[in-house]
Amino acid sequence: MWRKPTDPKSAQAPNAPKPNVPPTPTPVSSTPASAPVAAPPPPPPVIEPTAVASTPTPAPAAVPPAPVYSAPVTKVVSQDTGTPTSIGAGLKIRGELSGSSDLFIDGDVQGKISLAGSRVTVGAKGNVQADIDASDIVIEGNVQGNLKARESVRLSGSSKVQGSVVTPRISIDDGARLRGKVEMSRGVDAKNSKQSTTEPAAVSAYKTVSASTERE
Amino acid sequence: MNWMGKSRPGATATATAAKPKSGSTAVTASPTLKSRSSNGLKEFLWLLSDIPRVRVLDLGPVWQATVNFFLEKGFRISTEDLLGTWKEFLSAEEERMRNAPKSPDGFVERVSPSALAEKFLENALQYPPESVNGVLAWDLLDYFDPAVGSKIMERLYTILQPGGAVLALFHSRAPEKFHRYRIVDTQTVELVDAPTLAMHTRVFHNREILELFEKFRSSKTFVGRDQVREGLFLK
Repeated sequence: MWRKPTDPKSAQAPNAPKPNVPPTPTPVSSTPASAPVAAPPPPPPVIEPTAVASTPTPAPAAVPPAPVYSAPVTKVVSQDTGTPTSIGAGLKIRGELSGSSDLFIDGDVQGKISLAGSRVTVGAKGNVQADIDASDIVIEGNVQGNLKARESVRLSGSSKVQGSVVTPRISIDDGARLRGKVEMSRGVDAKNSKQSTTEPAAVSAYKTVSASTERE
Repeated sequence: MNWMGKSRPGATATATAAKPKSGSTAVTASPTLKSRSSNGLKEFLWLLSDIPRVRVLDLGPVWQATVNFFLEKGFRISTEDLLGTWKEFLSAEEERMRNAPKSPDGFVERVSPSALAEKFLENALQYPPESVNGVLAWDLLDYFDPAVGSKIMERLYTILQPGGAVLALFHSRAPEKFHRYRIVDTQTVELVDAPTLAMHTRVFHNREILELFEKFRSSKTFVGRDQVREGLFLK
């Protein structure tokens, strides 16, 4: 139901013909996407059901029109591409993000973020209403939700967090706002951390397929 | 807990003035920082020292030094910058009243401080009853309207466990600058210059302080050379 089986995953096909058209607005964004939706370098993140995440690499002009979906995003799964996946300012995502890629958020995210083994950065313009579970968490913007880090949490001077923080290490810059509790947890060793980076991604991918099947 | 029953070797009953301690860091490192010795804090920590899995609520802004201090002691710490939250709440209320449709007869909505406090507490200080062992209120009560302050105290009393303690500071005269407090060590707090979040509302008389904390089981007051009174109140 999301697209015809013969339709290319236009935003993700590296060899697809690329006419010069402006970037199309994403279906989950209520505001015009001022930030360009860039084509990620291969291998691209596997994003279901629509490409709302982007890497901060250039070349936004050669993206063919993407199909417009009316259904809300339920899950976004990202694979480790070596470069952080970016949700730019002006983008809004509602649902669950999981996988093993580092993530930079400067837009609005509501739901849940599970990126075990990865780093999640909420930029100064980022506005997140979600629990975040990651290896390292850096907050520069607003977060309403619980932060659970396996390695460290850093709250910058411009950050504003409402929720609990559970982490083995925490760094708080002067000016940070935190409304919630801070608890120390045991850090995970590198081996366990490596395992945890792959397992949740696989589970998330499976769940995403199941969710798509249910819709059909 | 009864602090009268605990033996406390070497404790002094009076507060000492702020002295640069040779062992403490950052006491005189910056012109915007100054420290003061706090016997109230020392007593506060001593009261909580026997309790397993202590949870402390800091009503000032979150500081790395304060968080580290408590985490290294094995305490659990929650922070809520009550004055900052209050300021944001007031700004939102003013905005709401500005945008509210005006009645044809020119009636202007006015909200009593008590009602305002109740509305504020619908979202602030949301902790389960008897879930906190200690509260660091610093000098916040000096900056709230008395009606708001009493409502806040009621809420703090509710969330404190029996035997829990509140440490509050009261100025004897209006302070020249607005400060926030962070902990350096067990007996030293650092005063950090900060943009004024609220105007100093009043200077409490001792009797008014006792009335504000009338539900509490016992109290103890320390007076520093800077004339700041440190009150320790036990539920």
